[in-house]
Amino acid sequence: MTMTKDRFGGLLFLLLCLTYGYYAGDIPMLPRDEFEPFNAQTMPNWLAGLGIFLSLLMIFSKGSSSVKNEPLLAANVGIMLGLLSFTFLLSLALPWFGFPVTTSLFLIASYRLLGERRPKMLLLSSVPFALALWLLLTQVLEVYIAPARLALW
Amino acid sequence: MLEGMFSGLSTALMPFNLLMVVVGCFAGTFIGMLPGLGPISAVALMIPITYTLDPSSGIILMAGVYYGAVFGGSTSSILINAPGCASTLVTTFDGYPMAQKNQAGKALALAAWSSFSGGTIGAIILIFTAPALASVSLSFQSADYFALMLLGLTSVAAFSGPGQMVKAMVMTVFGLMIATVGNDIITGAPRYTFGVLDLVDGVSFLLLAMATFALAEVMMTIMRGQTLGSDQSMEKVTRSSMKLSLSEVKEVAPTVARSSVFGFIVGVLPGAGATIASFLAYGIERNLAPERLKKMFGKGALRGLAAPESANNAASTGSFVPLLTLGIPGSGTTAIMLGALIAYGIQPGPRLYVDHPDVFWSVIISMYFGNLVLLVLNLPLIPYISRLLAIPPRILNPLIIFFSIIGVYLVSFNTFDIQMMVVITLIALGLKLLDFPMAPMLLGFILGGMLEKNLSRALVVSDGSFDFLWQRPLTLGIMCATVVILILPKLLGWVRLRRGNLMPAAD
Repeated sequence: MTMTKDRFGGLLFLLLCLTYGYYAGDIPMLPRDEFEPFNAQTMPNWLAGLGIFLSLLMIFSKGSSSVKNEPLLAANVGIMLGLLSFTFLLSLALPWFGFPVTTSLFLIASYRLLGERRPKMLLLSSVPFALALWLLLTQVLEVYIAPARLALW
Repeated sequence: MLEGMFSGLSTALMPFNLLMVVVGCFAGTFIGMLPGLGPISAVALMIPITYTLDPSSGIILMAGVYYGAVFGGSTSSILINAPGCASTLVTTFDGYPMAQKNQAGKALALAAWSSFSGGTIGAIILIFTAPALASVSLSFQSADYFALMLLGLTSVAAFSGPGQMVKAMVMTVFGLMIATVGNDIITGAPRYTFGVLDLVDGVSFLLLAMATFALAEVMMTIMRGQTLGSDQSMEKVTRSSMKLSLSEVKEVAPTVARSSVFGFIVGVLPGAGATIASFLAYGIERNLAPERLKKMFGKGALRGLAAPESANNAASTGSFVPLLTLGIPGSGTTAIMLGALIAYGIQPGPRLYVDHPDVFWSVIISMYFGNLVLLVLNLPLIPYISRLLAIPPRILNPLIIFFSIIGVYLVSFNTFDIQMMVVITLIALGLKLLDFPMAPMLLGFILGGMLEKNLSRALVVSDGSFDFLWQRPLTLGIMCATVVILILPKLLGWVRLRRGNLMPAAD
């Protein structure tokens, strides 16, 4: 049996379903709920069972002939991971540095990662944009955005 | 009915709502043009904005974006042979060859007129069928709803394409699993929260939609190294080139009428959607065409462009029927709209027609306005809108990512949601690389809560017995339809295989 994309996907889903089913037993129930026709564990148990059946079907079926390999460049995967890292960093920095600073930095870093090198372009397409959005939200739409924690120190 | 219709008309005619239609159509056209970003991503990107609006305006904006995105997808299909979404893939078959023959303007005009006609015919049928179905569905019980949701989820999987059925079902189950995260809606027991307080309310629908569609689609585009081709046909589109002769109109008129009605019917079927409608309409027209015109299909046939364009727009309108009358989305895009309506506290379904006639009718009427806006405003502006495609991807992609993140953050003001988005995007990318479809997962997630609630009610009423599945003729009928839909693709495949085996034997 060769390991096709479908079978690999099926195997991953089987693992997920087994884990999901295992943790379904940890769901707390009200007293005597186990005798009810439907309780908090019913749906998760059924879903785990159905998921296991479907993943086994994927693993043991012939697999689709239309499975194609994505032509992905390692450099592009790196860029994608870089952008996701910036997104993660944005979430960490946002409460400390505030909306305008963090979003400007995020945009500058993302543009640069994707190949924009001109400093003027980097600044013009990020700082005014982030500031304008922040002003629109806070001054026009009156949305409360917490100030930077560092500024409060 | 008339009272509700007038109330909807007055709501849709409010200047602000008219503005929403125009803004929605423009934004949708622009987003839909970008390869990889289809109507689902476009509508998902609009959700944070709609949260600041009232329900009618919000849903009108989303409907406008939906239409605009389908139209935008057709534009990029014709101009740069890159369909913005699956439903406009067929448009490339004859649209792009027309553009190569220096008829890009004519192709765009024909696509716009066909879309307009498809949308108009669809909207007219919708006006009459939706209230009728809504009044019938008032008698639905929990068991019927459960059966209907099962039908919706199954048909999404069944129509997902050859070799994709099991994968689509796996993704539906995955979506249902994600829906169980958070406090149980019936008993309040925490499920799969692992002590994380941010998970008590479950996974946010907006977060999931943004991460799996908007963010994951942009990341996929980046990973594939796709860029928008600066095709010469983009330069050649002028307003004067967008004219159709009377003989050309006469040639495509019957095609447009047939494909619109057919597209609407296919669109109403839960899970079928605009993509299947456009493929089937194209196939039908090719079979119906005289031998002389049949040879032109794939080389720039007017009928070959008009058929899928009318069908996909009529199907988009048709997909609102199960959403508005039964509360069951017929496609990924309407699934997102369902989520947005629920967030507003409005439960689409038979009661929508009674409780919120303004929302019900204003959506239907604004759909028509949306078509009108596309034709009157967007079409003449296409030469200018398509210039926006010249924005380099290195600037455009970060902006789309930025809007996705900030859109989610501005709803919850919780940075945990951004972190969760990163994790879900990574999972979605992995699943996309393994060719798992995303729409069934979102549908499963959205219907998960309702499915569980109706199933629990039905089971409690029937004292734990599964009799409820066949006790009422309506439930039994829906369950039979579910089984038929589930085995139909396999059965058709088997028949085709048998026929293929018999043919050489007969020879």
